[in-house]
Amino acid sequence: MTAYVVRRCLYAVLTFVGITIATFALIHAVPGDPITFYLSNHMNPSRPALEAIRHEYHLDEPLVTQYVYWAKGVMTFDFGRSTLDRRPVRERILNKLPNTLLLNFIAFLLAALIGLPIGLWSAARSGRALERASAVGFFLLYSLPSFWVALLLMQLFAIRLDILPIFGMTSDEYPTLSAMQQLADRARHLILPVITLSYAQLAIYVRFSKSALTEVIRQDFITTARAKGATPAAVMWRHALRNALIPLVTLLGLTIPSLISGSVIVEAIFQWDGIGHLYFESILSRDYPTVLGLTVATAIVTLFASLFADVLYAVADPRIRFGGDTP
Amino acid sequence: MWSVIWRRFARSRLAVIALIYVGVITLIAVTAPLIAPANPNATNLAHRLSAPDHQYRLGTDDLGRDVLSRMIHGARVSLVIGFSATLLALIVGSFFGAIAGYYGGAADWIVSRLIEIVLCFPFLFLVLGIVALFRPSLWTIMIALGLTSWTTEARYVRGEILRLRDLEFAQAARASGAKDSRIIFRHLLPNALAPVLVSASFGVANAILVESALSFLGVGVPVPTPSWGGILSIAQQYIEYAWWLVVFPGFAIFTTVAAFNVIGDRFRDALDPRSD
Repeated sequence: MTAYVVRRCLYAVLTFVGITIATFALIHAVPGDPITFYLSNHMNPSRPALEAIRHEYHLDEPLVTQYVYWAKGVMTFDFGRSTLDRRPVRERILNKLPNTLLLNFIAFLLAALIGLPIGLWSAARSGRALERASAVGFFLLYSLPSFWVALLLMQLFAIRLDILPIFGMTSDEYPTLSAMQQLADRARHLILPVITLSYAQLAIYVRFSKSALTEVIRQDFITTARAKGATPAAVMWRHALRNALIPLVTLLGLTIPSLISGSVIVEAIFQWDGIGHLYFESILSRDYPTVLGLTVATAIVTLFASLFADVLYAVADPRIRFGGDTP
Repeated sequence: MWSVIWRRFARSRLAVIALIYVGVITLIAVTAPLIAPANPNATNLAHRLSAPDHQYRLGTDDLGRDVLSRMIHGARVSLVIGFSATLLALIVGSFFGAIAGYYGGAADWIVSRLIEIVLCFPFLFLVLGIVALFRPSLWTIMIALGLTSWTTEARYVRGEILRLRDLEFAQAARASGAKDSRIIFRHLLPNALAPVLVSASFGVANAILVESALSFLGVGVPVPTPSWGGILSIAQQYIEYAWWLVVFPGFAIFTTVAAFNVIGDRFRDALDPRSD
C-alpha cells in the first residue's frame, strides 16, 4: 500500500514538472511578449520604463532562467503580477474562486444526486423499453451545446416569462435588500447557470454509474450470489452496488477539468464573475501572468484530485495496490 | 468482419438515421455555393434582423445577411474542422499509442505520463489559450484541437496494439523478418482500425462542439466567415427579439454533434461481442 502511494506521488511530482514546462513553453511560443501588448495600450512609453518592465518580468534573461524564476514562484503559489492591473495573480484568482466554486458545487451536487440513482436504475432495468428511451434521451442531452441551452433558457425564463434574471450574480438593487432578500436574489441568479452547468454532467453520471454497475453484474461472484439463493434485492444492494461505486471515485479526477472548461462558457454567457470569466478576459488582453497562473493552478488542482482518487481507489480495491504495475 | 459489424450497427434505427443525417450535412457542405439561396456575406441593411418569411426562410442577422445561406456555408466550417482536427488527433494518437503498446516498458511509461499531463489541463483552457493567443483561424483551431484531443485515440490504439502484438499473425510477420515499423503500420494498425473509428466519431462530435463554442465566444473562425457558432454569437446580442438567430444554428450544432455521437456509440456496441 505504502509503496503504491509513494509511487503515485512520485508520478505526480513528475507530472507537475511536466505541466509547468508545457505551460511555460506554450506561452513562450506565442508571438509577442507582454511588452508588445503594453505598447499597444500606452502610447510612447519611455525606454527606461520599458526596460524596467522587462526587468521586472525577467524578460531580459534567458528562457531557462525565466522558467526557473517562474517555477519557483509556482511552488509557493506566487504567479507574479498581472500585466493588466498590476495586482498579484494569486489575489485575483482567489477573489474570483469562491464564485466559481459556488456555481460548480451546486451543479455537481445536483447532477450527482439525480444522475447516480438514474444510472443505477438504468443498469438494473437494462434493456426495457423505458430504460432504452431514457438512455437515448440522456445521450442526446450530452450532445446539447451548453451555450445554446443557456441562450434558450435566457430567452424562455428571462425574456418570454420574465421570471428569472437574465445574467449577473446579483440585481442592481442588491445592496439595499434585507439579508433574506439578498439570499433569495442570489439564489434566483444561480438557477439558470446551474442548470446549464449540470445537465451535461447529469448525462455523464448516468452513463458512468450505469456502465459501472453493468460491469459488476456480469461478473462471476454475482452469479454465485444468485446461485446460492440470495434475493435479487440483496444481490443488488449487498454485492453489486458496493463494487460498482468504486470506479465512481475516479470520476472525481476526471470531472474537475471538464467542470472548469464548462465554467469558461457559462461564466462568459451569464457574466458570472468567476475564474472562467477571468481566464477569458486575461486571454483577450494577453495578460500572460494571469493566463499562466490560472492554467497551472487548475492543472495542479486536477493533479491532486486524481492523485487523491487513485489512492482512494487503492484503499477501496485491494486488486489495485497488490496488482501489477498498471501505467 | 466488417459485414458482421455493419449488420449489428444497422440493427439500430437511430444509428442509420444518424448516418443518413451526417451524409446530408456533408452533401450540404460540399455543394454549399450551389444550394445557398443568397450570397452568405451579402449585407442588406434595409432588412436587418427580419424574422423568417418567404424571402428569408430563416430570417436575417444584424447586417441583413441571409441566415439560411450562412447556415449552409457554416456547415463547411463545422465539418472541415471536425474531420481535420480528428484526423490530426488520430495521427498523433496512433503514433504515441502504437509506440506505447508495441514496445511497452519505458516507451509505454513515457507516453502514459505524457497523456497524464495533457489530461490535467482543462481542455477548453488549452484550446482557447492556443487559438486566441496565436490568432484565431481555421488552421489554429484545427491544430489546437488536434494537439489536445489525441489522448483518447492514443489510449484506444495502445490497448488494441497491446492485444494484437502477440497474436500469431504478428509473430509470423516478425518471424519472417519484418521490421517493427512494417509490423506496426501494415499489420497491427489496420487491425486496430475499428475501435479507433469509434473514438474518431466521438472526436468529430467534440471538435464541432468546441469549434462552435470558440466561434460563439468570438475567438473562432474570423468574421465574416459564416459559422454556426458565429451566428449564435450575434444572437446573444439580440436575444430579446431575434429568436430565429438562436434556434436554427443551435439546432444545427446539436443535431450534427448528436449524430456523430450516436454513430460512435452504436458502432462501439456493434464491435462489442457481448452485445449479441
